[in-house]
Amino acid sequence: MSRGRVLGHLVKADFLTRVRRTSFLLTLGFAVFLGYQTFAGNIVMQLDDYRGVYNSAWVGALMGVVTSTFLTLVGFYIVKGSIQRDETTRVGQILAATPMSKSFYTVAKFLGNFTVLAAMVLVMGVAALCMQLAHSEDRTLHLWTLLSPLLLFALPAMAFVAALAVLFETLPLLRGGVGNVAWFFLWTGLLVAGIGPAATRGGTVTHADDFHDFSGMPGLYGQMRGQLLEVAPQAHESFSLSIGSMKPHKRFLWTGVHWDAVLVAARLTWFGYALAAALLAALFFHRFDPARSFGPAGRSRRRNAVQERAPVVEFAAAKQLAQADPWTMRLTPLPPASGKNRFFAMVAAELRLMLQGHRWWWYAMAGALCVACVAAPLPVSRGGIILAAWIWPLLVWSPMGSRESRYATGSLIFSAPFALQRQLPAVWTAGVLVTLATGGGLLIRLLIAGDGRSVAGFLVAVCFIPSLALALGVLSGGSKFFEALYTVWWYTGAAHHIRGLDFTGTVDASSTPALYLGLTIVLLAACWMRRRTQLAYA
Amino acid sequence: MKLSIENVGKRYGSQTWALRRFSLELKPGVLGLLGPNGAGKTTLMNILATITRATEGQVMWGGADVALEPNAVRAVLGYLPQDFGVYPNLSAQEFLEYLAAVKGLDALPARRRIDQLLNLVNLSDVRGRPLGGYSGGMKQRVGIAQALLNDPQLLIVDEPTAGLDPEERVRFRNLLAELGGERIVILSTHIVSDVEATATEIALIANGALVAHAPPEDLLRRVEGRVWEWVIPSADLNAVKQCYRISNTVRRSDGVHVRALTDEPPKGALPAAPTLEDAYLDSLSVYRAAGVPA
Repeated sequence: MSRGRVLGHLVKADFLTRVRRTSFLLTLGFAVFLGYQTFAGNIVMQLDDYRGVYNSAWVGALMGVVTSTFLTLVGFYIVKGSIQRDETTRVGQILAATPMSKSFYTVAKFLGNFTVLAAMVLVMGVAALCMQLAHSEDRTLHLWTLLSPLLLFALPAMAFVAALAVLFETLPLLRGGVGNVAWFFLWTGLLVAGIGPAATRGGTVTHADDFHDFSGMPGLYGQMRGQLLEVAPQAHESFSLSIGSMKPHKRFLWTGVHWDAVLVAARLTWFGYALAAALLAALFFHRFDPARSFGPAGRSRRRNAVQERAPVVEFAAAKQLAQADPWTMRLTPLPPASGKNRFFAMVAAELRLMLQGHRWWWYAMAGALCVACVAAPLPVSRGGIILAAWIWPLLVWSPMGSRESRYATGSLIFSAPFALQRQLPAVWTAGVLVTLATGGGLLIRLLIAGDGRSVAGFLVAVCFIPSLALALGVLSGGSKFFEALYTVWWYTGAAHHIRGLDFTGTVDASSTPALYLGLTIVLLAACWMRRRTQLAYA
Repeated sequence: MKLSIENVGKRYGSQTWALRRFSLELKPGVLGLLGPNGAGKTTLMNILATITRATEGQVMWGGADVALEPNAVRAVLGYLPQDFGVYPNLSAQEFLEYLAAVKGLDALPARRRIDQLLNLVNLSDVRGRPLGGYSGGMKQRVGIAQALLNDPQLLIVDEPTAGLDPEERVRFRNLLAELGGERIVILSTHIVSDVEATATEIALIANGALVAHAPPEDLLRRVEGRVWEWVIPSADLNAVKQCYRISNTVRRSDGVHVRALTDEPPKGALPAAPTLEDAYLDSLSVYRAAGVPA
């Protein structure tokens, strides 16, 4: 069989595996949602106070940029995990025993990721068509003008993201939760790196900018600005793509992207970068070698390999023990349970499960942040240090609610008596204790300062964060959703103290404890209901 | 102590019945659950272990309907699923302590019990090592230990000897036989010799239906005088396979030793003592031929 056909089969299998999962419908659903939000005017692209007439050119450009910015952020989280899936399903071990090269595999995974993201771009294309027809400002359809921004802005950006997802999965540090957090900051950095140089030149865009911008925004902005200045020379230098409140008041006619050779080449270059990233991933890919597996099982295996070189005496003792034939030993009957409430024992067990596996430096940092909250001036503690203290345990919170499905322990735990009533509250309580402990320094300061309102906000946050983690874990069956959402929320809402989005509740100007108390209750109710359905008999 | 399964059925999707009109009454002893792949054994065990709900019928434990009072059976249940996971960062000791807490066991007796169980499954010397580094057989032994944590009155084990080495397998079979003296043990396996060594009763399942339920002696009696062995040249093997229901063939220097189930003795054949494997194959073929329990 030719290499092309093998590649085709690999990509097809990967694509089919994903599209036959419910999560794929959610993925497309998100694309539809984003398309609708753009259509409804909740996502707005504007220059100064202007937006374009809703013709094929403007609608296409808008959809192209929305896709290459917002959808790339989410798309990464959607496609990351395909190598891990091969590992957990053990298909990887079968593939590893074939003559397939590592680079062939990582390129196939990249193409598999790309097909999924391309399906989302297709949805956005349909949304663009509907949007132009529905708005009726200009009903003349120019298909190339409408769809070319999606093809040449969005698709290369998606290809790059698809390859980065593969690269992240092959790098030991980035394949898990750390990678999920890192992507948000890398994505922000990529956008800034693309727009930054033009911004420093007062909006003047050069061809060089097109080559180091993955979203296509500077190239588009440069051309739009030129056309706007022709009809409105007084217009200010500003370009924004925003969600929500801002609405432009004026319109101008935008006739479409002028695809000169340099711009097209710049956009196609991103396919090259994507291929390079996929090939780079092959260098780090462990080819499902259990001894080089990066997960906790692999770490344990390596640690055990070291322990297996332990003193011979210990081995001899073990041998002696084995010779004693323990299977013939009789088990002492267990006395009837005392009926005492073992809830706190469960909480302790869950707490240990949560904290197990973290290195000493993790605890040292958590402790240092807690102490810093006590020692620093109160405004610094509540405005800054608490943010660091409440991003640090992200990977402790994120497995809450999904650990049973991730490690396939559900059948053992859910067949225990009162699994719903005991285990779920115990996980939540353990999460609350972690949140309280990491941010406890600030609580002490607030109590000393007698700031009752902030104490209330703090306590609500202590309940809200683990509730969000638990609910998203139970609902999604994984930790990725929480890791992505919490990072974005933490950065956009809490770190910038945006009222309504700041869940930390310790800065008066942005604190909305009642809102987050309500949200906490809703989240807990949702995860309780979902877990009820996961258990045959709740 | 009694477990009653009354007309239980389980449907997946709108049409696929994994189990249909299944009835069985169990008292202390070891029930060997035998059946081909996809017969419905795991579905039945998932229902008994309260992991999944029956679509129809009732499971009663000591007079309590499991659908209404699942915790009545969960409190006395030990369950070893065919596929189960462990938390790789926890050691065997910590994992068992965690599950003891989940099962609501008191701390001190649980700790003593864990010590005993780790000795029992031969893992006491590696109790502190993270489970992620355990071999498949070692993980299986952790699974066995967790199933016995709460001193269960109802022990359900699905393919418990998978991954165990022959020596451990024999030991575990002895343990099961011993446990079956005072509790209900349900053992599902494809390894007929495991059932042969431990079961006081056998249930044969095929296509989600109960094919036979009887003590092993009764099943063996059904094929008494119908098992024959003889030697043929290798070249005749295919022809013989067309004529007889073969239960085993072994190639030796004098030719192929054939074992077959048939009412009339083949030419040159000698009667052989029936095994449970013969009885199992006979019951299944009767069921498949007639579509009714043997």
